[in-house]
Amino acid sequence: MKVGLFIPCYVNAIYPEVGVASYKLLDYLGVDVDYPIDQTCCGQPMANAGFEDKAIPLAKQFEELFGKYDYIVAPSASCAAFVKENYPRLLQKEQHFCRTSGKIYDLCEFLHDILKVDKLPGNFPHKVSVHNSCHGVRELHLSSASELNIPRYSKVRDLLSLIEGVVVLEPQKVDECCGFGGMFSIEEPSVSVCMGQDKVRNHMATGAEYITGADSSCLMHMQGVVSREKLPVKFIHVIQILAAGL
Amino acid sequence: MSSKNDILGNIRQHITDRYEMPDIDIEGIQYPDKIAQFIEISKAVGGDAIILNDDEDINKVIRSLYADAKVIASNLPDITIATVNPDNTADPHELNGIDLAIIEGEVGVAENGCVWVPQNVKEKVIYFISEYLVIVIDKKDVVNNMHEAYDKLTFNDYGFGVFISGPSKTADIEQSLVVGAHGAKGVTVILK
Amino acid sequence: MSTKHTKAADRFIANKEQETWHNETLWMVREKRDRMAMAIPEWEHLRELAAKVKMHTITHLDQYLEKFVSNAESNGVIIHWAKDAKEHNEIVYGILSENNAKKLVKSKSMLTEECHLNPYLINRGIDVVESDLGERILQLMNEPPSHIVMPAIHLKRQEVGKLFEDKLHTEKNNSDPTYLTRAARQHLRNEFLTADASMTGANFGVAETGDVIVCTNEGNADMGTSLPKVHIVSMGIEKIIPDLKALSVYIRLLARSATGQPVTTYTSHFRKPRKGCGMHIILVDNGRSEILGNKEHIQTLKCIRCGACMNTCPVYRRSGGYSYTYFIPGPIGINLGMLKSPEEYADNVSACSLCYSCNNVCPVKIDLADQIYRWRQNLDSFHKADKMKKMMSWGMKFLFMHPALYKTGLKFAPVVNHLPRFMLYNGLNDWGKGRELPRFAGESFTEMWKKGKVQTKNK
Repeated sequence: MKVGLFIPCYVNAIYPEVGVASYKLLDYLGVDVDYPIDQTCCGQPMANAGFEDKAIPLAKQFEELFGKYDYIVAPSASCAAFVKENYPRLLQKEQHFCRTSGKIYDLCEFLHDILKVDKLPGNFPHKVSVHNSCHGVRELHLSSASELNIPRYSKVRDLLSLIEGVVVLEPQKVDECCGFGGMFSIEEPSVSVCMGQDKVRNHMATGAEYITGADSSCLMHMQGVVSREKLPVKFIHVIQILAAGL
Repeated sequence: MSSKNDILGNIRQHITDRYEMPDIDIEGIQYPDKIAQFIEISKAVGGDAIILNDDEDINKVIRSLYADAKVIASNLPDITIATVNPDNTADPHELNGIDLAIIEGEVGVAENGCVWVPQNVKEKVIYFISEYLVIVIDKKDVVNNMHEAYDKLTFNDYGFGVFISGPSKTADIEQSLVVGAHGAKGVTVILK
Repeated sequence: MSTKHTKAADRFIANKEQETWHNETLWMVREKRDRMAMAIPEWEHLRELAAKVKMHTITHLDQYLEKFVSNAESNGVIIHWAKDAKEHNEIVYGILSENNAKKLVKSKSMLTEECHLNPYLINRGIDVVESDLGERILQLMNEPPSHIVMPAIHLKRQEVGKLFEDKLHTEKNNSDPTYLTRAARQHLRNEFLTADASMTGANFGVAETGDVIVCTNEGNADMGTSLPKVHIVSMGIEKIIPDLKALSVYIRLLARSATGQPVTTYTSHFRKPRKGCGMHIILVDNGRSEILGNKEHIQTLKCIRCGACMNTCPVYRRSGGYSYTYFIPGPIGINLGMLKSPEEYADNVSACSLCYSCNNVCPVKIDLADQIYRWRQNLDSFHKADKMKKMMSWGMKFLFMHPALYKTGLKFAPVVNHLPRFMLYNGLNDWGKGRELPRFAGESFTEMWKKGKVQTKNK
């Protein structure tokens, strides 16, 4: 199988180490990974702001770059969810049949469901609090949504349990939104910051040293709050923990 | 007439796809001991439920539970402690001031402590205006859930029925639960 | 970029104590709902059935309405049809006049709020008394409800205490909820006894039997309708459901979703008027029939007005009902407001982080968040899109469509890290209100890849 690696715009610019960990992990697992160099963004920021039509050319570009791969993998639940849920409809507006939405995965999802990873080297002897991001939970079903009466599961917990030494914790209000929401964070800054502060406090109350999750966007927003208030908690993407032994 | 036609016309004009009625093939939650569950939930919702043993006199039992009740209303033939027969009142307003009303229910529901009361008194205000309420039902008429209840319940000619689950209540002030709003401040269901 | 909601939310959050209390209290109601839902193994099946029955009913609404009316009329109930709010109010006043009714006791009805009934009647000399405790408190304060099920959730007991001291002559400085509720019981008992007519809403209308179903905890609807000789029901046409078998599904979902109780204390079935009395049902359209033709938003007609979406909404909990410009707040309110008037209520569309929690708690599975997303796409066509957002979206599209430009951008982005604070953190930077900006990496992923720093082979 040939996998196309999609590195979201803000991961590229702000958290490239997440991209590096993603590549390293897939390579270690024997996956043939390609990084199409001309990729940019999936279009979610514009769409959530109310301008999804501006994402259509991006969708077409994405199809051109990634259409040929067996799987497309991104270390970002929200970007993968955006492509999956919206590209078919957006591309349909220009009578274009979508090839990529059926084969795009968030990297955690890919490791858990497709590669079915059951062993990973490495040691990460720290307490971590898992941030269950909204798109990850409610669109990609990375973990069971707390509102639903369904059997409890968490793909992220399953993966983290493969790394020795990790103590996996979850906050109260286990999947309440952190308040990022793309443009929401600057259109409704008071509510957004308030939500971020509450979420950080809930994570910290678990006693964790790190807040971890599958979405750097949420982590970035919470990091902003932590840096402003100088709080003693660190951030790390799940993939970085999984790649700790590589 | 014309508003009726306009509205119905508007509806017909706007409906596009018509969706099918699903099969309501749901059994609903089942309890190993319906009576025990009914009693537990009755207490949880702020009321009470007791079983009347064969050798017990219902009047004595009610008297002992509501020793302070002076004005007791009931149209049930078995209730000898009633001081007022509410069916003899011409005006429902006169029923204000009743301490205890003793009424009959038809179906008890284990999942939520509801008792179905099809109106069988002249003035239904008696169900709501008394300070306290005793509802008498038959043990064998307790069902598991609302699906079973709706399957079984009946209406009388009065054309009114109500599910009552525990006493009236409100949490409108600071979400602080207060038992006893406008209806009964306490309810006991007697399962005979 | 900020909307009316943004500004109102700013003010609400500035009172940290109020915001925290409001947030935590409503979350507790969400938790109670969760406990109820998890105790019913068939919960998700119930939601699925409830959603499907509503979709079936509203897409056959003409047939079900006619069936409902035919049965109700055979039972001796008088049916009225109101195209809009104005007609509804006129009909109510007409019924009251015909019956020489001067005092009307009301139980909760958001529909009458929608029609602005109270001021209409009060201006015509009718004494209108709200009998739901929360609504009565607000009526005495001359304020609107801030939640559709818990209307006075934003008030503290001391405020109610002071109000009752003034209006009901209760003891000074006594704000014990039980004491205040008992005082209200006495006060409203008197109103019930002296009312000439009563009014209720309708939680459901059952087509098969002509029953009107009213669910309350307080018993106010039943006290009200058992004494005066006239009972008026205000019912939105979308409240119809086919039969009692279907009703059982909704009664199991309603209180569990709304307040986390297994059921409301009273679930009353009004089938016939009381002997010697009159019962009227006013069927109200007021825009509902048009929504039937709106594929993107038809699902709002499934709504059973439980408020669960508000209780879970992280934005509603932190901004309060008054920060929305439509009388119904929260996720359902954003959608209903836009359906009523996109130009007037567009400000509410910003009040959503698209977390999708509302979709998951809605007992009838309305796609609330998806609809809000769709309204956002349409804002521009109403000329309500924020210009800044539009410009930023255009700017981003341009950047992302030119990979070479994007890569150059990535290269120079770290410069921002070194700009002086006053340039980065000022009134123009909304991110900076409470957060530090993220730091751009010294080397972007693309650059690292190009330099071969990523593809180190593992031996």
